[in-house]
Amino acid sequence: MQIHHLPYADPGAPDVRSGTRFLLWLGRNQLGGQVKSLLWGLLLHLGIAGLPLGVGLAVQAVIDRSGGGLARAGALIALMGAAIAVGDTMMHRTAVTNWITAAARVQQLLARKAAELGSVLNRRVAAGEVVAVSTGDVEKIGWFVETLSRFAAAATALVVICGGLVVYQPDLGVVVAVGVPVLALAALPLLPRATRRADVQREKAGRATELASDTVAGLRVLRGIGGEELFLRRYREASQEVREAAVRSARMWALIAAVQVMLPGLLLVVVVLYGAKLALEGRVTVGELVTVYGAVTLAHHPLRNFEEIAMAYSFSRPSAKRAARVLALTRTTTSTQAAAGERPGGDLYDPVTGLLAPAGLFTAVVCGDPDAAGRLADRLGGHPSEAPESHVSVLLGGVPLDELPLDTARSAVLVQDKDPVLLSGTLRELLDVPSSGKVTADEALAAARCGDVLDALAQASPDDGGDPALTRITERGRSLSGGQRQRLALARSLVTDPEVLVLDEPTSAVDSHTEARVAAGVQRLRAGRTTVVLASSPLLLDLADRVVLVHEGRAVAVGTHRELLAADGRYRAVVTRETEEETLVDIEESA
Amino acid sequence: MTVVIGMAPPAHDPAAPESATTLPVGTAATVRAYVTGLLRRHRTAFAVLVAVNAVAVVASMVGPYLLGSLVDRLAEGARDLHLPVTVGAFLAALVVQTVFVRMVRLRGAMLGEEMLADLREDFLVRSVALPPGVLERAGTGDLLSRITTDIDRLANAMREAVPQLAVGVVWAGLLIGGLTVTAPPLALAVLVAAPVLVVGCRWYFRRAPSAYRSEAAGYAAVAAALAETVDAGRTVEAHRLGGRRIALSERRIKEWTAWERYTLFLRSVLFPVVNITHTTVLAAVLMIGGVFVLNGWMDVGQLTTGALLAQMLVDPVGVILRWYDELQVAQVSLARLVGVRDIEPESGDASVRPDGRDVRAREVRFGYRDGVDVLHGVSLDVPPGTRVALVGPSGAGKSTLGRLLAGIYAPRDGRITLGGAELSRMPAERVREHVALVNQEHHVFVGTLRDNLLLARAGAQDAELWAALAAVDADGWARALDDGLDTEVGSGGLALTPAQAQQVALARLVLADPHTLVLDEATSLLDPRAARHLERSLARVLEGRTVVAIAHRLHTAHDADVIAVVEDGRITESGSHAELVAADGAYAALWRSWHG
Repeated sequence: MQIHHLPYADPGAPDVRSGTRFLLWLGRNQLGGQVKSLLWGLLLHLGIAGLPLGVGLAVQAVIDRSGGGLARAGALIALMGAAIAVGDTMMHRTAVTNWITAAARVQQLLARKAAELGSVLNRRVAAGEVVAVSTGDVEKIGWFVETLSRFAAAATALVVICGGLVVYQPDLGVVVAVGVPVLALAALPLLPRATRRADVQREKAGRATELASDTVAGLRVLRGIGGEELFLRRYREASQEVREAAVRSARMWALIAAVQVMLPGLLLVVVVLYGAKLALEGRVTVGELVTVYGAVTLAHHPLRNFEEIAMAYSFSRPSAKRAARVLALTRTTTSTQAAAGERPGGDLYDPVTGLLAPAGLFTAVVCGDPDAAGRLADRLGGHPSEAPESHVSVLLGGVPLDELPLDTARSAVLVQDKDPVLLSGTLRELLDVPSSGKVTADEALAAARCGDVLDALAQASPDDGGDPALTRITERGRSLSGGQRQRLALARSLVTDPEVLVLDEPTSAVDSHTEARVAAGVQRLRAGRTTVVLASSPLLLDLADRVVLVHEGRAVAVGTHRELLAADGRYRAVVTRETEEETLVDIEESA
Repeated sequence: MTVVIGMAPPAHDPAAPESATTLPVGTAATVRAYVTGLLRRHRTAFAVLVAVNAVAVVASMVGPYLLGSLVDRLAEGARDLHLPVTVGAFLAALVVQTVFVRMVRLRGAMLGEEMLADLREDFLVRSVALPPGVLERAGTGDLLSRITTDIDRLANAMREAVPQLAVGVVWAGLLIGGLTVTAPPLALAVLVAAPVLVVGCRWYFRRAPSAYRSEAAGYAAVAAALAETVDAGRTVEAHRLGGRRIALSERRIKEWTAWERYTLFLRSVLFPVVNITHTTVLAAVLMIGGVFVLNGWMDVGQLTTGALLAQMLVDPVGVILRWYDELQVAQVSLARLVGVRDIEPESGDASVRPDGRDVRAREVRFGYRDGVDVLHGVSLDVPPGTRVALVGPSGAGKSTLGRLLAGIYAPRDGRITLGGAELSRMPAERVREHVALVNQEHHVFVGTLRDNLLLARAGAQDAELWAALAAVDADGWARALDDGLDTEVGSGGLALTPAQAQQVALARLVLADPHTLVLDEATSLLDPRAARHLERSLARVLEGRTVVAIAHRLHTAHDADVIAVVEDGRITESGSHAELVAADGAYAALWRSWHG
């Protein structure tokens, strides 16, 4: 796999039975890449190991007063230099490719999983986990994947080098062959403590960042009411805690660095002491002594990989576990009737409340109890809050909606939440949703009275023409007011033009002036289609074909707004928000 | 593997700003001044770091020197090698090196951490002093990204790059010095190799920092797309956007990996250059030295020492290259942080004091951009204790007028006075003793419930806090909390419902006790069902205060003493509900359609 071929056409079906299995699955999928990286790494390390050989030969050549020998040593070093340059570059390229392809694969799997889970994510703790895997864990998994082949190359090279030294200079070689494994493993016992301290530091740093960003996010409140000093003091304390934790962590790493200086140093002293004796006895040449000395000083290159793989493994294991857990999530709802191709239609009926929305009409629903209204909206949207076994699906034309394939059900009935999310992107992208194609974006925007939004977007437009369709809407539409966001979301739902459109409080943040016009626009655009609005504003209710009052969990009254206003006290109380007392005063005044 | 001869950077740059930066970015001069100040504050620690490092490096050169003299004696055929002395010196140097390497690491970290702590605390101090008008206009998004992303990027630079670069430069310098002292001709080897390195590095560092920035932004964009899909799960499902979200994620992956491929190309040029430099230095030392030894101008021991020192150059050069581009990336972040210092804090005139509580607007004109006014000569009198409702269509200027009355913006023309004193000339701390703006933003701070209330009145006793909660009907749920006022709330703590959050905000108002309130859509973002409960709490806060309400819904306007209809930046009608209904204007028409 090459980087420029990414993304994968199909990221595959991961083995998510455990974190380790997931790592193995990733590894199996890039076996070729791992082998390539290993071989290039071997070339690099053997090249590095060849340098002291050249140095030794050169030293010996000048002792032997041989110009030819010196030139040959030079040629060897040049050859080794070429091997190092090629090996280093290519190992880096292949190892980095391994990490990028693994990271891309996991990100693709996550994107697919998130799209599949949809609304299920919001109800589980999983939402945070998916994001955590994507932002933190992928990198750690990638790090391990990248390190693996480099480590394998280094370990192989060390075995070859030690073996080579034993053959090249048996007496000194054995000393080195015994010493190197000690060097490789010496720092490992210190690592868990160092990483634990690093974790504490990261945690505290995270806390400080959270405090800082929280303070900034609420800064307008602070500047408006006061309390800056309180929050500054708090942040200073957190910041100093980070500093102390970081220094504590650095103490451990400094100790590790010291150990990594001292142990190879001791090995060198032994090599020098023993080697000098051997040289004196004539059992090794001076050149050979210099070669062995040089080889030991360069051993820290491959040795570094031991420390790195240990850390990468300990970091990536929990990450892989979490990634596997997230990727193993599935939707629990199952569609029993595979009514492929069949598009349901007709009246929308909720057996639980007895709410009926006849096909083709504009039905408004008024609920006295906020919780019941919330539950009703959830049920219409296919997000039942009750236990699955006691769940009764909403019927569309007599067909239980929740038993249809998800895509069919959602395309038949669109429920716009109380808190719809505007996805970031340009206005054009925002309104580019799967739709019937019968309602244009302009019509929908006009019906939802988005004129002022378009003006604001045109002013911020990146091109000179001031085309609002090309202006980016920031995440969740934060640059817009609450009312503007609601109207844009409404326009998006109108563009979709579903068979049945359910709107939950679509204009609660819109001012009364605009609301009246929005309601009229929606009514006009949805003429002949089924529309259900959960609302309590008289401006909206007045335009509905029928208004249903849901009281204590049941539909108890049906009629037009005016009829119900005149006939039903419960309705009046909910809609006009007047207490009995005030109503009484009104009556007295009008009398 | 494709062989890359040359490569242009990808066309799409994810690091390019999507929306204009709303706050200023520091100039080169301010950044330099800031860095100079920072270094001066820590100069002792810096000097100690350099000194400790020098000792460690010198100690590390003892080994090659001892081996060199050993080689000399062996080559001369000496029978006595003074081995005990050599080994003793070797061990002593090793102990010194070990101790000092540990100190270098530790001192470096301590210095880096102190500079970093200085920097981030300094930034927050500046941020919380920003004028409310700047915050209102710029929003907190830009500031937020500076305190998270930029501080994060600087963390690496301060913690590692600055000390490591200091270490690396001293290290390399001493090694080259050691080489020169050992045998001056060997220093030529460095001169032979240096040009390749310099040319290669210049090429690389001209491209690398911005490429890495784009690469990081591209990767962040991959995660951001996913986070949004997750966050908008319900919307994605309802609108059947799953396929599009997957396609978006994959497009982002393609954009990000294109940058990965480009930076990989940059390193594919840099790596061979660096490797070849090292080999060239080593080979040149051996060849030049070899010729000198063969001609009897140098000892074989000097050659040995020189070759070993040349080998050691790999490490400091690696350190310098590793951290240099980090420092360049950090410069951009630093400029963004220092930029906040460039905003003049509007200190106001502390001698301006209100005499009385009446709020008056006289012929007020105001616009956000030059030449485009949003308000065109608005006059409004709000006598103490009255309730004024501003009604009108979206975009008519109601909210803007409200912010002017709350002293957040200064009028371009005309005057807004509180008790005869001009609001815009008072410091923000003085204004808020008298006037508060209550809007949809009911931020719950991370921390205890107590902290969330104390900010409004520092030093308040628990009894006062409970009284404030009771005043807004919030003591019921608050008393039910296991830890009472000590309960951790906000992100990561107990999640309050939007209604509870708004009650906390109202309790803060009770504690802060300003005599005038400007209400802007305070309850509009709430579920209308929850809003009803909350309006009771709000009504109790409003008792006895002057209120300017930007009324969204007619029933809130209905009870006001004065209703002012704002249309197109002007007040077109004003009077009581009865008067306006009788006048049969815009308000009356709306009221009829509302009330049937």
